[in-house]
Amino acid sequence: MVEVKNLSKRYGDHLAVDNLSFTVNKGQILGFLGPNGAGKSTTMNIITGYISATEGTVTINGVDIFDEPEEAKKMIGYLPEFPPLYPDMTVKEYLNFVADLKKVDKKAKKKMISDIMENTKITHMSDRLIKHLSKGYKQRVGLAQAIMGYPDLIILDEPTVGLDTKQIIEMRELIKDLSKNHTVILSSHIMQEVSAVCDTVMIIDKGKLILSDKPENLSARMGVTGGVRLSVKGDKKEVFAALNNVKGITKIVRHAYVNPGVVELTVYCNENDDIREDVFYALSKANTPILEMKVLRMSLEDIFLKVTSSSKADMTAEENDIEESVEKEEV
Amino acid sequence: MLAIYKKELKSYFNSMIGYVFIAFFLVIIGLWFFIQNLLYGLASFEYTLSAISFIFILLTPLITMRLMAEENKQKTDQLLYTAPVTATDIVLGKFLAVLTIFGLVMAITCFYPLIMSIYGEIQFSAAYASILAFWLLGAAYMAMGLFISSLTDSQVVAAVISFVTFLFTVLMDGIAGIFSSDNKTAVIVFSVILVIICILLYRMMHNLTVAIGVGIISEAVLLIAYFLNPTIFDGSVRKVFGWLSVNSRFENFSLGVFDLSAFVYYISFAVLFNFLTVQVIKKKRWS
Repeated sequence: MVEVKNLSKRYGDHLAVDNLSFTVNKGQILGFLGPNGAGKSTTMNIITGYISATEGTVTINGVDIFDEPEEAKKMIGYLPEFPPLYPDMTVKEYLNFVADLKKVDKKAKKKMISDIMENTKITHMSDRLIKHLSKGYKQRVGLAQAIMGYPDLIILDEPTVGLDTKQIIEMRELIKDLSKNHTVILSSHIMQEVSAVCDTVMIIDKGKLILSDKPENLSARMGVTGGVRLSVKGDKKEVFAALNNVKGITKIVRHAYVNPGVVELTVYCNENDDIREDVFYALSKANTPILEMKVLRMSLEDIFLKVTSSSKADMTAEENDIEESVEKEEV
Repeated sequence: MLAIYKKELKSYFNSMIGYVFIAFFLVIIGLWFFIQNLLYGLASFEYTLSAISFIFILLTPLITMRLMAEENKQKTDQLLYTAPVTATDIVLGKFLAVLTIFGLVMAITCFYPLIMSIYGEIQFSAAYASILAFWLLGAAYMAMGLFISSLTDSQVVAAVISFVTFLFTVLMDGIAGIFSSDNKTAVIVFSVILVIICILLYRMMHNLTVAIGVGIISEAVLLIAYFLNPTIFDGSVRKVFGWLSVNSRFENFSLGVFDLSAFVYYISFAVLFNFLTVQVIKKKRWS
């Protein structure tokens, strides 16, 4: 369906996309995952023909976007990062214009517009000026624009940015619906989103493809981080003294106080070690009851950070509530 | 192309700009018509049109400034450039829309010679030829405005640059008069222009080799031509600047002379700037 080969994009000395290759099959949802500035939008802009590549080819259903842009663009619907809306048009006028622009057949146009408005739940907004719509509705109008003409390939750049929780869930449902009849490529820097919606995840950093797999495989592939998050009632010194006797702990990080008299900690151990029981007995012996214990699992977030940052140390630095870090003393 | 044409036309009447442009233009034409033709009884409508041709400097930027600049700013260019239409479709759709708006003004203007004919003998052919020429003169300005609008994403910048450029084209005859007509001055003036072109080229392409290469080659051609036959440069500065003076082409019409070369000039001017606008859009893809 979509075939991207050795794609590179250079801005002066800066390499925005570096030798990217992948294929997307019909009916798949592919998710680009990457930090800001990773080259996600650039890649999407190249696939849609908005900008050109320095090297490499993009073919959609066998049609090259550089050689036959008009033919290829007919098969693509694109929702860029900022929905391309005309603020002075009503929703209906705008969709009408988009339908004309995409050369939708005159007879089919009216029904298509009302169907799409129904699907994206903007029918009741059809006579409003776009500039009066909220961010969530603007995003939906943008999506409606991308679906117009029912192209084979729909490309969505950060489709849920700026939406509230309910809208995000609705948007995900919509995207899943779309994949029944269309191939979808979407980008995000939010991990849950990609794991919730996509069949395949591609992690991109600094323009390079770092990892590409099914979301459920990613966790297994990367292993689990060992460690537990604790809330312990008691004195700081006593707690540390008790934990120092537990074997297998590699690192203890203390967090800011929430309640006085309660110590908040994250205790790390080697991957695949289970220290929960030892921690429990050690702390109960010291008469410092555990109020809360939670196992750290490697989420897509951690995987993402792990592959996009060079050292594992950055992982813990991501937790913004660290007050001080205490290395475990030798037992 | 039709979709973009319709959208542009609609947007002029959704906002105030279309009405303001048409109303203001008609007020000016009406005022001059009233004073010169009705009050002073001048039997030449073409003279009136020629007298108000300065108004393009003020009014053209008003309708051309937003054409491309607004798309660039609202990021709606992404919609247009990823839709199955060519850059030529986009530019022509927009250009024909402004041309239609101005055409409405000219259509209403067509009644004035009829009004004049009530009071006396009127040479209709000269009057209507000059209205057509006036429309084409407007087309030349609008193509230039469209081009300038495509270079920026700020309407204000587009308007100011258009205004200054149009002012230059009107003053071009005067500017040409400053330079003496000997061939040495000509070579110096052309060299300076070449340097400016090379700087612009570098700004646009960010490629020093190409800019310097073009500069050196064209400069060499200039100097070789000068040493082989200096006489071809006699008075050439005035001639070249005269080519750029859009308004002065209208003079023949104001005298009641039908000037086909002016028609060709205006049309080629419009085609050239539409072509340049298409190139700007295509270039954006490659930057």
